[in-house]
This record gives sequence, C-alpha cells and structure tokens, in this order.
Amino acid sequence: MDKTYQITIDGKACTARHGEFLWDVAKRNGVHIPALCRSDRFEEHRACCRVCIVEVTVRGRTKVVTSCVYPVEGECQVVTDSPRIRQERKVLMALLAARAPESDVIRNMASFMGAGEGYGRLKPLDTGKCILCGLCVQACESMGTGAISTVNRGTEKEVNTPYGMASDACIGCLSCANVCPTGAIEYQQDEETRTIWNRTFPLARCSQCGQVMDTVDMAEFETCDECRKKAIADQLAQAYRFV
Amino acid sequence: MSRTTTILVCCGTGCIANGAYDVADAIEEQIVAQGANAQVELRVCRTGCSGECEQGPIVRLMPRDTTYYKVKPKDAKAIVESLEGEPVKKLLYRDPDGVRHEAQAKNPFYGLQHKTVLANVGVIDPLSLDEYVAAGGYEGLKRALDMTPDQIITEVEKSGLRGKGGAGFPTGRKWRSAASYDVFPKYIVCNGDEGDPGAFMDGSIMEGCPHAVIEGMIIGALAIGAETGVLYIRDEYALARDHIQHAIDDAYEAGILGESIMGSGHKLDLSIVRGGGAFVCGESTALMNSIEGKVGEPRPKYIRSVQSGLFEKPTVLNNVESLASIPVILAHGGEAYAQVGTEGSKGTKVFAMVGKVKHTGLVEVPMGTTLRTLIYDIGGGIIGDRPFKAIQTGGPSGGCIPERLLDLPVDFDTLTEYGAMMGSGGMIVMDDRSCMVEVARYYIDFLCEESCGKCTPCREGLRQMRHILTEICEGRGREGDVELLEEIGAMMTDASLCALGRTAPNPVLTTIKFFREEYEAHIKGRCCPAGVCPELTSFRIDAPACTGCGLCAKACPTDAISGERKEAHVIDAAKCISCGSCREACNFDAVLTEGR
Repeated sequence: MDKTYQITIDGKACTARHGEFLWDVAKRNGVHIPALCRSDRFEEHRACCRVCIVEVTVRGRTKVVTSCVYPVEGECQVVTDSPRIRQERKVLMALLAARAPESDVIRNMASFMGAGEGYGRLKPLDTGKCILCGLCVQACESMGTGAISTVNRGTEKEVNTPYGMASDACIGCLSCANVCPTGAIEYQQDEETRTIWNRTFPLARCSQCGQVMDTVDMAEFETCDECRKKAIADQLAQAYRFV
Repeated sequence: MSRTTTILVCCGTGCIANGAYDVADAIEEQIVAQGANAQVELRVCRTGCSGECEQGPIVRLMPRDTTYYKVKPKDAKAIVESLEGEPVKKLLYRDPDGVRHEAQAKNPFYGLQHKTVLANVGVIDPLSLDEYVAAGGYEGLKRALDMTPDQIITEVEKSGLRGKGGAGFPTGRKWRSAASYDVFPKYIVCNGDEGDPGAFMDGSIMEGCPHAVIEGMIIGALAIGAETGVLYIRDEYALARDHIQHAIDDAYEAGILGESIMGSGHKLDLSIVRGGGAFVCGESTALMNSIEGKVGEPRPKYIRSVQSGLFEKPTVLNNVESLASIPVILAHGGEAYAQVGTEGSKGTKVFAMVGKVKHTGLVEVPMGTTLRTLIYDIGGGIIGDRPFKAIQTGGPSGGCIPERLLDLPVDFDTLTEYGAMMGSGGMIVMDDRSCMVEVARYYIDFLCEESCGKCTPCREGLRQMRHILTEICEGRGREGDVELLEEIGAMMTDASLCALGRTAPNPVLTTIKFFREEYEAHIKGRCCPAGVCPELTSFRIDAPACTGCGLCAKACPTDAISGERKEAHVIDAAKCISCGSCREACNFDAVLTEGR
C-alpha cells in the first residue's frame, strides 16, 4: 500500500498519498483552488497559468508552489489563500485580464479576486481571449493529431498551426475549441462545411438520415450514432425474434 | 645547447576579431625571413584567450616573459628581431607613471589575478593534447582512476566547490545525490549555453583549454557511474565547439575516452549538442528538453535532475567553469583548493568584465575579492576617470550594485544578503552617464524575447514591465508606476515556473532598490539625471568650459551646434534630438544636461 501523510490544508486535516498532487488532495477534501490550465481530462499538467499557487510549509520552511503539480512527499501545512497568495493571484489575474481583454471568464475571475480595479496602468492587448494555457495543444496531442502547438517564444508566443498555414494534420474535430476555458478558439460552420485553423472541412452526412455528423476527415462510419444504434437494435430484434 | 622560445599569440575570439591570425602568420613569416637562429628553437603557439581582450592582440614570449599588447602584423619584424635583445618598447605595458614593463605580472590586470581554472588558458595550444598533458593535464583523472566513486565525491566535497553557473549549489552534494540512485543509464551534462549579455567566461575556457572541461566530465562520470556525457554548447560559440570537438576526437584517439578510459575498463562516450540560440535553454530542464529534441521550455515537475533528468534518468548538470575546476581539485586535493576563497565560497571565480572600465577582459580572482579591487585595481578604474555608478552582475537575472556596496566581498552569499547577486560572472561596469531605468528596460526587453513564454508571470509580467519602463523612459511615467513594478516583480519572483522567470525582475527590483531616486526623477522631475533618455533630457554647452574645438559640431547628426573656432559653441534646441553625441565627443565636459 502507498505511504500516506497527514497534512493540513487551510487548517483542515487531510490524508495524502505519497506523490499525490496537492491540488487533487485539496479537491478531494472539499477545498477548491482556482486554476485555469489544469484539466481532469489530462494526466499531465502544464502548470503554466500559475493561478493555483499556494503556500506550503515543510519542516518549518515556507514556500510558494504550484499546487497542480506539487507532489506531497511528507508532512506539510498548506495555505491556499494567505494574504501573500491572494495578492499574487490578484496580480496574476490582472495580467491575464490584460492579456485576454475580450474574455468575460477572465474579466469576471479577475474582478472576483480583486483585480478589477487599480490595474488600469497595465496595457491590454488589442484583442483576444487566449491566455496561452495550452489546453488546446494538449487536447490536440491527445487526439494523436498534433496539428497545433505553441509557436514563437517570450511575449510573442501564441498557439498556431505550423507557419500559420492550413495544417494537413488537423481533422477539424473541435477538441481544441471545446477544451478552451475562455472560448478563444473560433470556428465557423454552415450546412456544408466547418472552418477552423485556416482550413475548411467538408462535413459528412449520415447516409441513412442525412443529418450532419463530423468532418469528412474524422468520420469513421457512414451513418450517424443514432442510425447505427437503431440498426444494431434492429439486428438484435431480428436475431432474437423467436425467443 | 638549444633553447626553446615560444611565441604565444592570443587567438581567443576577441583577439581574432582584432587580427590575431594575421599577427601569427606575420610572425611565422618573419621567423623564416630572418633565418633560423641555431641557438633558439622558435615556435608560434596560437593560444586561447589570455584575458585582457581590450589590449589585444596580445603576444607573449616565453620563457623570458615579455608581453606585447595591441600587436599589428607590421610589428612582427621588430618582435622577431627583439627575441634575443631589447624588447620592443612601444608594445610593452605602460603603467600610470609612464614606465614600461616587460613581465606580465607587472601589469596589475594580470598581477592581481589568481589563475586556477584559467591557468592553462592563454598559455597552451588548445588543440594540442600533448601540451595539456605537459602542463599537468589528466593528472587529476589518473588519481581519480585509483579512487572509488565515494572517494572522488569526498574529495570534491572537501574542496567546497559550488556551481559556478551562478546558483552555487554544492557540486559534491549534487554528485553524491546522483550517485545514490541505482537507475541506469545515468548522464553527465555540461552546460555551455552561456547567454548573459557581456559574459564570455565559459566560452573562453572551452576555447582555451577544452581538455580541462572534458577531464572534469570524465571524473564526474566516474563518480556518479555515467557512461554517456553531453556537452550542450550554444550555437554562437563556433570556436569553442570546434576546439571541444577536436579535444574529444584526440581524447578518443589517445584512449582517454571510449570503451576503456586510460585502460581502466570504465566506459564513457562524450558528444556535443548544439544549442539553438535560446537563452532559456541555459535553464537546466529546458536544456535537457532541448537535448531530447523537444521544445526548449522548462519542465514544471517538482523533481530534481539528479533523480530524473535527461531522458528521465539520473543526470548531473554542471557548468563549464565548475567542471574545469574538477581536474585541479583531484590533482592537488580538495583541501588545497579550499585554501583559497571565503568561508562559504571556496576557490576562485572567473569574471568577464566589460563596460566603462579601462581594462576589459577575462579575470580570475579568489572568491571574496571585493568589487572595488576588480574594478579599480585589476580593471584600472573607469574610462576617462568618470564617477562609477553601478556594476551589473549576473546578466539579465542579476542585479545592479551601487557604489556603496563595492567593498563587499564577491561570493555566492554576501551580495545576495544585500539584494544583489554574483551570478555566473558577467560584469558590466557603468559610469555616471548610464541611466538605471534605461538599463532595467534594456534587460527586460532582452528577457521579453528570451523568456520561453510558457508561464503567465514571466511572459505577461515582462510584457507589462517593458510597457511601464518604456512609459517612464519616454517621459510618460506616472505616480504609482514604481510600486506597480515592485508588485509585479514580487509576484514573478514567487510564482514563475523556472529560475529564469523567478530572477527576471531582478534588474528592475535592484535598480528600484538602489536607485529609486532616479525613477522618481524620471516620473516626478521629468528629468533623466544621467542624460540618456532623449525625451527627458536637453543639452546645452557650458560656455566657460567650451574651448571651441568644434568636435561636438562635427559629431552632431542634425547640425544643431554652431560657433566660431576657439569660441564657445551653442546648441540650437529646435534642431537638437538629444542623442548625446556631442557629450560623447567633448573632451572638456562642457556639454551639460538637464531635464526638459
């Protein structure tokens, strides 16, 4: 059996398994730590938004750590909203609000954390909702497509396809858009096509009912889920008709 | 009986740029032209950096120890003629009293140094394994081969060696930790990605004595049980890379690397990985990602490289200078090494001193030497004897240290206590004509491009810092700007993903800490006290001091200065673009600055 430790989170006694991430221990014990780039969908966390910072005291030494990737490896005391953490999260959210001026999610979160006022001096980007959390890239990788990634470095970093061109690898599945916490990835869709990442995909229609399914690039079957279920049900009914 | 005279021609990067190869060729031609002297066997040796780059190309005659500075190819004839007789006076070191000296040690730039890591740099041919061995090279490795890994590590622990890349982590402890894991393969990696502006310590060591780095890596590999090593060298260091590759090839040929190190049965393979030119790849985990062929971004995991580093195997990553110190420690013992330095920082440190100091170049001094000694005694003071203002240490992650801290010993701990840091060894000296706000903006600008951009604090914090600093420098500073910079900086220090981000605000935080009044002057006084920021500076000529020499008028790009010869000149404010060229040109300090 795994080794466990008795730790405290905001004064609450909790049990943590060896190597378990602090964020997960907190969640299991009903303590919510805000986070933007962390998703239960993925095992690995990029730890790049830094909003989930907390203060940890180990053997009398206190430090600020990123709870989504900080493994518990001994007794410790955790404070998730000390004045220092609240202050630093506030600055982080003010920076993100300037980064993604068109995102309501970020604006509301910043406002909730006290960064709504007092940061008028920060220069917002002209447009955009992207906070570069990288979840879209993770989603794309997990699909096995790898059509998008972060490109450039420093303040010029962005998410894009290679050279910003229509990517052969993209299948138009919308995983990136669906996982985005700020709705920053736009796409257009009409009766016939879906357009995302500079590429227009023809849409596949169910050969039975004619309903729009997915893009042709990702369609595995000729019929939609509903029609396939119905077909299987019909087969079963046929097979067991004498029972 | 024949004697050997060796003519050492410094062929470090700086001297090559100043024509050192032409000088070496010319001397070789002259030796042939003047005929061989039966008594003297002559040899021209193209060495690594001898240190005083600003006085290069440097030629040194050994064993008589005559050093010539700023040698031109046309001086070759006189130099060869002087071999047996009087030295060429005009090429010798001239002390402040005007007396010429032959011996290198009479030049305080060299005389006050304590060369340990650099002992062979500038003295031997870096491409010759034989010369390195003749100078005592690979003695440390021979001793290490007779020791157990534990004994090797104990020797390094005794030396007190700490990582000279700037972090100062005890090397012995790092090795012991890596040795303790029973996971194989293990790796030893050399960090040769030196990227701080103005720093060239590691590059010079790799160029000037590549075998010392390789020997250090072999000893480290024996200590931790690694059979593979990688030297990560930045792409811009073409010469260093060539020399290291040459040394690796020679070491394989001599049986020092490969299947059986010096016949011991221990195996080690070394290879070079070229960096792609990203500053962030000097950060340990970004470096390892880069070697693995991934994007050069730091890893977010809370796990140490000695446990899971390169390819998720136990890895020791050491800086070039640290590794080059290892052969000395093994050859002469850890205790001997620990005799030099301070209580907490043992041995020596190499610094690359540049900027407004008279003698720029590469210097090695005992840990604990004061900045004042470095700048005034070794560096010869400030150019034009202007007032000292600040010294920038440790590159973009470092800090700006003011005059009042100049008497502090430079080691890993002392400067840190005062909110500055020693860093990797880059030092940029600044005089009273440097604007500290502008300096902070320069470094933040550098980091905006060189941050990997992965985490919010570093990427967005730097972007906003650059915006605010630009506003201040361009005369649009507001009350509260300094406090906001401090607020962002404090958050970056705590919350950034890697060491680059955590130290990125240092140039801003240290200049605010030590030069706050200069920020205030920009914001409240609408004046750049150093006369650097054009929007906050106006120039005028001090009539009584002006001699009417006309140099300022010649230097002015907009023809804004007029005046008769030998009479005081005047600046037309309407035409002046506040570029400062006139002030640079004036030899009489007659160009004054004030706010707008």
